[in-house]
Amino acid sequence: MAERKVELKVFRYKQGQTPHYDTYNVTVDENTTVLVALQDVRRDQDTSLILRHSCHHASCGTCGMRINGQEQLACVVKVLELGTPTVVVEPLQNAPLISDLVVDMAPFYDRYNTPEMPYIRASEFWPKTDLPDGIAQYTRYENCLECGLCVSACPVAGTDSEYLGPAAMAAAARVVAEPRDSDPEFALNWVDNEHGCWRCHVAYECTEVCPSDVNPGEAIMSLRGALTRRKFRRVFGLGK
Amino acid sequence: MQAGLSKQGTKQKSVQVGRAGAFWLIQAVSGLLLVLLLLLHMVAHHFVVEGGLRDFAEVLAYVSNPAIFTIEVVFLIVVISHAMLGLRAVIFDLGLNKRHARVVNWVLGVIGIVTLVYGVWLAVAIQQL
Amino acid sequence: MQEIRTTHDAVRPKNPLRAWFDVRKRNLGSWAFALNRLTGLALTVYLFLHLAILSKLLQGESGWNEFLALARSPLFLLLDIILIFGILFHGLNGIRVALVGMGVGARQHRRLFWVLMVIGTLLLLVSAWKVFTI
Repeated sequence: MAERKVELKVFRYKQGQTPHYDTYNVTVDENTTVLVALQDVRRDQDTSLILRHSCHHASCGTCGMRINGQEQLACVVKVLELGTPTVVVEPLQNAPLISDLVVDMAPFYDRYNTPEMPYIRASEFWPKTDLPDGIAQYTRYENCLECGLCVSACPVAGTDSEYLGPAAMAAAARVVAEPRDSDPEFALNWVDNEHGCWRCHVAYECTEVCPSDVNPGEAIMSLRGALTRRKFRRVFGLGK
Repeated sequence: MQAGLSKQGTKQKSVQVGRAGAFWLIQAVSGLLLVLLLLLHMVAHHFVVEGGLRDFAEVLAYVSNPAIFTIEVVFLIVVISHAMLGLRAVIFDLGLNKRHARVVNWVLGVIGIVTLVYGVWLAVAIQQL
Repeated sequence: MQEIRTTHDAVRPKNPLRAWFDVRKRNLGSWAFALNRLTGLALTVYLFLHLAILSKLLQGESGWNEFLALARSPLFLLLDIILIFGILFHGLNGIRVALVGMGVGARQHRRLFWVLMVIGTLLLLVSAWKVFTI
């Protein structure tokens, strides 16, 4: 266990004060993650440092932050693998800041709180449901951890506060692709507006930062495709 | 817990043809058209002419050709639509309220039409020189 | 339906220019988007400039010859190359955005980008050679 000293430059903010950065010296070994290093700081150096975490193994999605300018889950990023003597740690963007590294996820979750986009999908209670053949070729948008990394990285979310965002639209695309008991038309209508799938500028940052291979970029494109086909069907009077 | 299963009051009866989607499609299709039209425009103006630029007489002869005139007007319509929709997207990304958005739509529409009229007028006027 | 709150953050207000053009640590798609936006704005300015300059034709042959002399100066030709770069990048990247946006080749968008950029580089070289030799 080779121990090394590294600087953590951490974004700090307390309500009513001006944001600034504090630098902490920490000792890490090759297994120390950014999350553990931050916890060490909180335990040994500065108890006022606020961060959020839970599982420590990339399945809960609560420790999302910007590490050296890139959105990542702090629990699976090893400090020494970053290769920089100073590691800059900042809260996620495009979410209201609460304190230090913690942002308010309420606007993010609001975007899921629409009817026909249930938290728990119908077939999960449905004993008759079979997995379709060739399940391996499906990309499972249910993999989404709802960590918010995609929204933080998205250049469109960075300018439009009402943008539905990659994560919620990936969920909508799932409803369209596999409605089970939901109504795909509802999901399509929900994203068919200025703040929905048409606002995307195809930067694909969401797909790049997703820690769970959800590929929201492609999901948004599939929504556009479905809406375009629907529009053509309506214009030419095909279908129902 | 069956929240996701309830359907009452959630279906929209009349679905509007989304304007956002229409604008995006026009932008994409006009862009693809522009690739062809601009290629034509560049080759016709600069690559088949001695010296890469037409002299005065050549310009007149060129614009007076009804086929060329038509293509150039179509090109103008497509390029202005594409440019105005592009500007609209950039300005909308600044975050506008509904009232400002309406003003921007109108202003860009007027600029587009004025530019088109100017362009056609110019093409007709130089033929009369 | 419950109201959807905005992602606005009073502590860190959104800066559109940063969101569009700050591509540090970002990926290919963001670079392409930033450059697409930049070239798009520049080409719009050029469109109006171009239409305005064509009014020189109304001044008859002498007015047009004045412009032709300017247009053949080396500096102007250099600007032409920049213009052609803008057109090629915006046009070719635009093909990718349009196709991917319609669901065509969404999985291949990176490869599509590089193929188009190779075509663009070749076309840029050919046009540069043309501009300076024609």
